[in-house]
Amino acid sequence: MGTLTPFLLTPFTEIWGSPVFFAEVVLTGLLTGVMYSLVALGFVLIFKASRVFNYAQGIMVLFAALTLVGLMEHGVPVWLAIGLTIVVMVGLAVAVERLMLRHLVNQPDIILFMATIGLAFFLEGFGEMVWGSNVKELNIGIPDNPVEFGGILLSSFDIIAALTGAVMVFGLALFFQKTAIGRALRAVADDHQAALSVGIPLKTIWITVWSVAGVVALVTGIMWGAKSGVQFSLSLIALKALPVLILGGFTSVPGAIIGGLIIGVGEKIAEIYWGPALGGAIENWFAYMLAMVFLLFRPQGLFGERIIERV
Amino acid sequence: MLYREAGQFKTSYAADQAIFPIRQDRWFVAAVLIVAYVGVPLLMKGREDYLYQAVLIPFLILSLAAIGLNLLTGYAGLLSLGTGAFMAVGAYATYKITTAFPELNIIAVFLLSGLIAAAVGIMFGLPSLRIKGFYLAVATLAAQFFILWLFNKVAWFYNYAPSGTITAPPRTVLGIEVTGPHATAEVRYLVVLAFVTVFALVAKNLVRGRIGRQWMAIRDMDIAAEIIGIRMLPNKLIAFAISSFYCGVAGALYIFCYLGSAETEAFDILLSFSVLFMIIIGGLGSILGSILGAAFITLLPVFLTNAPQLVGLGMRADLQKHFEFMIFGSLIVVFLIVEPNGLARLWQITKEKLRRWPFPY
Amino acid sequence: MTAAATAQASAAVALADEIPAPRATGNVLLAVDDISLSFGGVQALSHVSFDIREGEIRAIIGPNGAGKSSMLNVINGFYHPNSGTITYKGTARREMRPDQAARSGIARTFQNIALFRGMTTLDNIMTGRNTMMRRNFLWQALYWGPARREEIEHRAKVEEIIDFLEIQAIRKTPVGRLPYGLQKRVELGRALAAEPDLLLLDEPMAGMNTEEKEDMCRFILDVNAQLGTTIALIEHDMSVVMDISDRVVVLDYGVKIADGPPDEVRTDPQVIEAYLGVTHRED
Repeated sequence: MGTLTPFLLTPFTEIWGSPVFFAEVVLTGLLTGVMYSLVALGFVLIFKASRVFNYAQGIMVLFAALTLVGLMEHGVPVWLAIGLTIVVMVGLAVAVERLMLRHLVNQPDIILFMATIGLAFFLEGFGEMVWGSNVKELNIGIPDNPVEFGGILLSSFDIIAALTGAVMVFGLALFFQKTAIGRALRAVADDHQAALSVGIPLKTIWITVWSVAGVVALVTGIMWGAKSGVQFSLSLIALKALPVLILGGFTSVPGAIIGGLIIGVGEKIAEIYWGPALGGAIENWFAYMLAMVFLLFRPQGLFGERIIERV
Repeated sequence: MLYREAGQFKTSYAADQAIFPIRQDRWFVAAVLIVAYVGVPLLMKGREDYLYQAVLIPFLILSLAAIGLNLLTGYAGLLSLGTGAFMAVGAYATYKITTAFPELNIIAVFLLSGLIAAAVGIMFGLPSLRIKGFYLAVATLAAQFFILWLFNKVAWFYNYAPSGTITAPPRTVLGIEVTGPHATAEVRYLVVLAFVTVFALVAKNLVRGRIGRQWMAIRDMDIAAEIIGIRMLPNKLIAFAISSFYCGVAGALYIFCYLGSAETEAFDILLSFSVLFMIIIGGLGSILGSILGAAFITLLPVFLTNAPQLVGLGMRADLQKHFEFMIFGSLIVVFLIVEPNGLARLWQITKEKLRRWPFPY
Repeated sequence: MTAAATAQASAAVALADEIPAPRATGNVLLAVDDISLSFGGVQALSHVSFDIREGEIRAIIGPNGAGKSSMLNVINGFYHPNSGTITYKGTARREMRPDQAARSGIARTFQNIALFRGMTTLDNIMTGRNTMMRRNFLWQALYWGPARREEIEHRAKVEEIIDFLEIQAIRKTPVGRLPYGLQKRVELGRALAAEPDLLLLDEPMAGMNTEEKEDMCRFILDVNAQLGTTIALIEHDMSVVMDISDRVVVLDYGVKIADGPPDEVRTDPQVIEAYLGVTHRED
């Protein structure tokens, strides 16, 4: 029984013992979760519109951040730099559509997935060649002051990040549900050829979606980059997004958010309270295990579409 | 005029189902084997080991891993991103067994570790009964991260070495050193070559028989497969088992006959992706493709590292790395656009053209 | 007899070599009793009962959405009915797993072809032999010996089917590349490879021209006559149904509205009404 105590007993007594600390842990987790959600959002957008799992989303985050920092280092003022970066991301979307997506219409999903991995490699090399590969600091003037909230310590930065995330999600959800373009995007996700045959301009749709994903990547890049510096590890976020998508469903915008929050909180709690018993660094795999267990009971995620197979 | 089937009639089903039904193919493969087993060692006598160490040995070992992954992903249609982890299981199992029982023949230990890797593969393959596609990939990712974390954290796995690395102790087979610092590159090359030859043959036998068809049926349309009587559970688990066995043995060879020592980083997610690239570029659902893909991915960095010098352009090391990434990435995309069925299909098309040569059709 | 017909007949005889060919004996092979099936809010089948006698060709017809495919899916265990029983070869049960159905002698084809596109014709038909192959994977890894003998034995059988269906020329072609009509034939071959007692055909002639339909009819009749295979057939083409079936079941909105020989069913007022709007050309 002695070996099980750290697992079954201690964590709960610790939680019970200092609820304020627990609340802080939960909040930190939530805020990390918002970051995850932002990344997952980029994935959902592209997946929703084209059934492509864009592995390069992580690199796009890095690339956007690198471009922004690079421009700022050359003396470009913040707001202009952001605007220019958005232009670059749109340019990237156009290039991707023209050089890659157009030629892979109706290929099986795994081929498209592999192509995005190729894209990721390319962007990584390209970004680092142009802007250099050392860690960069990103400061666009978001205040990072401690804020007290009912006895719990937060930073204003985190709050702003959370709000930004919330606004983005809300806006995107509306976009998909209410607008004609949103409908067209959903049609494209279902069947490329069918969408073409009813006159939906595939090309425009894809450019639109990838551009929006690019902007989401930029926002994500700003948030993550400001927190922990702009560096290569930013691109590995792509892999973290997978468990988020599993939980939330690959095609659901609200799902990406909720999934991100759950993973963020879950990870933090597991690391703080169960981590010491297991030697630490549980965060490496906890999210995936959680996702896997989830998959066994609800394969389509919380909000994903039920997969019905017919013969 | 060289490559003609005219006059070669198959008078039995056995002949028709042979691995190489066309006579010229048989000669070609025989020639390749002779070059591989005899020609290369002769050529390399007295020269430095670069070709072995940087090219041939990793190529062969990774072919083995690629075949393993292709059986699972290319033939059975079960996407796996955990190749690195299964290779790690093979490597660490070999390490533990051989340090605990040094008298055991190392070849036997390799095979035993393969079995252990197979068991782990079955465990992480269980979710495949309920989930498919990308979702299954997540389960394998869980395996990838969890297993590496385990080998990192639990010191028992690396015999409490302070550096956290495992090192291959010297072992002999028939009096010749095959692992350890004194094992010559030539010996290690031949050992690995032997493994690959046998395992490739076994893989080919599996895929041309009943189990290969069952896997492909599950891959192409699992509902229909179930309806005609193919059971999902045993077939999927066997796919994971055999695939992990191959990857486990490859992992063991990776440390014991190639790197000599390593930490868990050697088996990280990048390795999993590399092997996946190999089978995509080489051709999903093709044993030959696995080998061609492994050759491509192994040779490319070597080529990219050395080519600038050859052409007279020197480049800063880090700039070169960025360039490599860019070229690598673009090549993948170009490949997928031009020939999504991979090098194996290109090879097939070449043969078909050869059949008709010098006529256009 | 033309040369082609002679070849066809001898191929069919080869196929039928070991198996005695009973004509419609009158014994019930399969009976469905009070089957109801619903998905969510949709009632696909309501209290449907009918039987299929050994050796006969039973047609299941009805307007679109009548539940015909669902009925076949229930018979071979893909769907589980909410109520009712299926009695097959004397054993009554509510549910059956599809692979159990396959092993007990039920084979089928599908409305939208369910062939394995990555494999050749030969391999696809060989998968139909799957339930009869015994050697485990260790023998197969070796290949030499028992596994190889088994492969050859079943290959011979599959070649008989290929001869029978006249698809020798495409045996090594990946089925994904075949035209629609040939794919349907290969699918029939795969079903036949399992040497079924009951063959379920879901719109085997959909999308075919007249010649292809004649060929398919010929195959179906030969399978029934030479091998004694009982056949349940969903088909929209009325002339085909009237010509080749022994008895007909008519479904409409999941309910059985007629059951009997073709001539009787054709003149049934309920049936005519169900099809109102769908012109039936008088022959």
